[in-house]
Amino acid sequence: MESYKIENLSFTYPNSEKKALCDISLAVERGEFICLCGKSGCGKTTLLRLLKTTLSPFGKADGKVYFNGMELGAVPDIEQASKIGFVMQDVENQIVTDKVWHELAFGLESLGVPTNEIRTRVSEMAEFFGITDWFYKKVSDLSGGEKQLLNLASVMVMNPDVLILDEPTSQLDPISASEFLRTVEKINRELATTVILSEHRLEEAFVMADRVVVMDNGEIIADDTPKNVGKILKKNNHDMVSALPTPLRVADVLTVREGRIWLEEFSKTNTVDEGRIFRVRETNSCKPCIEAKDVWFRYEKNKPDVIKGLSLKINKGEIYAILGGNGTGKTTALSLIGGINRPYGGKVKVSGKVGMLPQNPQLLFTEKTVLDDLRQMKADDGVLSQMIEVCELKNVLNQHPYDLSGGEAQRAALAKVLLTQPEILLLDEPTKGLDAHFKDKLADVLRELTKNGVTVVMVSHDVEFCAKYSDHCSMFFDGSITATATPRELFKNNTFYTTSANRMAKTVIPDAILAEDIILACGGGE
Amino acid sequence: MTNEFKTYHPIVNFLYFAFMIGFSCVFMHPVSLAISLIGAFSYSVVLKGRKSIKSNILYMLPTVVLMALLNPLFNHQGVTILTYLPSGNPLTAESIIYGTSAAVMVISVICWFSCSNEIMTSDKTVYLFGRVTPSLSLILSMTFRFVPRFIKQTKAVADAQRGIGNDVSGGKLINRIKTAVKILSIMITWSLENAVETADSMKSRGYGTKRRTAFSIYRFGRRDISALVAMLALGTYIVMGAVYGGMYFSYFPLITHNGISVYSISVFSAYAIFAFLPVIIEVWEVMRWKAIKSKI
Repeated sequence: MESYKIENLSFTYPNSEKKALCDISLAVERGEFICLCGKSGCGKTTLLRLLKTTLSPFGKADGKVYFNGMELGAVPDIEQASKIGFVMQDVENQIVTDKVWHELAFGLESLGVPTNEIRTRVSEMAEFFGITDWFYKKVSDLSGGEKQLLNLASVMVMNPDVLILDEPTSQLDPISASEFLRTVEKINRELATTVILSEHRLEEAFVMADRVVVMDNGEIIADDTPKNVGKILKKNNHDMVSALPTPLRVADVLTVREGRIWLEEFSKTNTVDEGRIFRVRETNSCKPCIEAKDVWFRYEKNKPDVIKGLSLKINKGEIYAILGGNGTGKTTALSLIGGINRPYGGKVKVSGKVGMLPQNPQLLFTEKTVLDDLRQMKADDGVLSQMIEVCELKNVLNQHPYDLSGGEAQRAALAKVLLTQPEILLLDEPTKGLDAHFKDKLADVLRELTKNGVTVVMVSHDVEFCAKYSDHCSMFFDGSITATATPRELFKNNTFYTTSANRMAKTVIPDAILAEDIILACGGGE
Repeated sequence: MTNEFKTYHPIVNFLYFAFMIGFSCVFMHPVSLAISLIGAFSYSVVLKGRKSIKSNILYMLPTVVLMALLNPLFNHQGVTILTYLPSGNPLTAESIIYGTSAAVMVISVICWFSCSNEIMTSDKTVYLFGRVTPSLSLILSMTFRFVPRFIKQTKAVADAQRGIGNDVSGGKLINRIKTAVKILSIMITWSLENAVETADSMKSRGYGTKRRTAFSIYRFGRRDISALVAMLALGTYIVMGAVYGGMYFSYFPLITHNGISVYSISVFSAYAIFAFLPVIIEVWEVMRWKAIKSKI
């Protein structure tokens, strides 16, 4: 029996000519794991929200949605509340109360479940999620990943038939994100809960999903098994190809393991020419503009050191990436370069004006429209319009900055920082929450800047992005840098902390660090 | 530090402090005052360790001295005139003694409040309000979540603004004010924006579909019953004792009291047991623990 059956669903937002959803038909079997993907703004969120009445956006909807064989509108709210679990993108805003135990109980309290039963169900769920240790904690003491797991647990405690997740990992770091997705998989496998997940981190989601649905411009353009969806997209040469997991892009397989086997087989019968990989990128100059020597830093006198003997040298006009896990001190290192914090030992020499883009771009906006916000920086009209051009903000100038999508907000904030005309640009996790398409756009902007002599320093978890676009990469661990090299050199020597393309091609093409590299070496297109 | 009383049911905690602070304010007999002060002082040491002895004395002594000196300057009641002040008003022994007593009362109440702060956590407050009405406890809980988040976000916005040259902490006053106003206005937008999503999350989890229940992590156990019974019995005896003059003490115009009798001793003893109840519980639990351990 179907969990959901959607028939010819179309949706138009008020004051909009364009249909946000256009003639969507989709059936979701009970216990199925569906991955919904597509570029930002393709209608994923709209579709997911239309699957629960209380969350449905205002607008004109045509077509029918059936839940467990009953028309959705006829299913009473109280049943929808418990049977349809919904986890949203924003980690913080979903949390209602201040304590973990209270948050877990919130849904059941709302449904008027007696206290004794709440106790049993909450403890059961905490055990399943392995979060019993947190039970008495304050929500504010949890990390981002833990908070999102709490959101998931507080929905699961109501024992839903269907779990709908709208880009749940977009604000998490890679480690927490895969932990989160594994928990979702566990729920699907062990509790037989139907899962509808929208994601842009496809590497893991594709392996878990039974079926992948790809949307573009409010329409479903592919609906098949993960492997077949890869084939369809590649055949149509769709934009989404660049977002596919590397093994699927190169061959028709899902995991790194299968990819490596495929590549080893392939190399037996075909020539693999490593020489086709474009090896070294040219950098503009070798003039260092940031130098740090044996820098030590801690936040408070009685706290342990965060930065321990950090030394680095960054050349003018290059894109320099600092990679590393959570809590290693990357962001602190950035704040030392930016002059926000001062080291107690060692020296940081920075020549040039510094501009800093915080992790959350929203923090920079203070006005009612994007244009007002940019005007606030008091630049000439010429410079302003040039910046609007470079950051592609033309279409969003009159919107409220808080209404922008992740990628747009990122670019608007970048424009605001750039209007201070910095010679050095510091970026903290610039690709967080961006889909593949917006990442490429961001990279274009950064490239453009380095051509004009701006130095870009970013700290990031995003191995693939740094591998693709940086001139130099550093590995950050325990308060200092353990290795610095060009991305190709660095990732070639790493076994764990490297791109999946590199892991896949290690035995055949050790120099390959990107899916494009492998495709080139195997004789694929430019 | 052991903290056994804290694990008791919030209602027991709340009633204890409500009674104790109430008693401390009302009973002005020097013996009652002494009992309350020593009780509060020793409990704060049990709760917060030795270092609290110093910090307690640091605020207690000056308060007592100050009030003992200040009261006679404004209060001229009493019949035992020691001397005349330059203003011509009499300085009376009663007013000095009353000032000291009032000061002791004030510091012991402060001390009780500081103890109750350790015990009555936000969780317990939320729970107690939840007993009155479930929605009130939800509002409180949401406030406890919202306020720290708001402050954190405001700081983050201020930091980010400093990064692009709008500094609240330095520069021209007029610019600083302008920036501060801007930050405040965007923070209001931020709050409303987030509230919409939080409301979605609440509705999605069935808020408003049915009459809410209030879940709590507290259970009313046997020891809570014993503590409650002990408190009620002692409390009743103390109140009766006060009504029938067991703790009668008048400062003005002449110090008068009922003297020490078997009856008044029994009332004071009840009061002392009441004041030391948490300490007794701590000690008793430690002893019991040791006894269990030695059996193993």
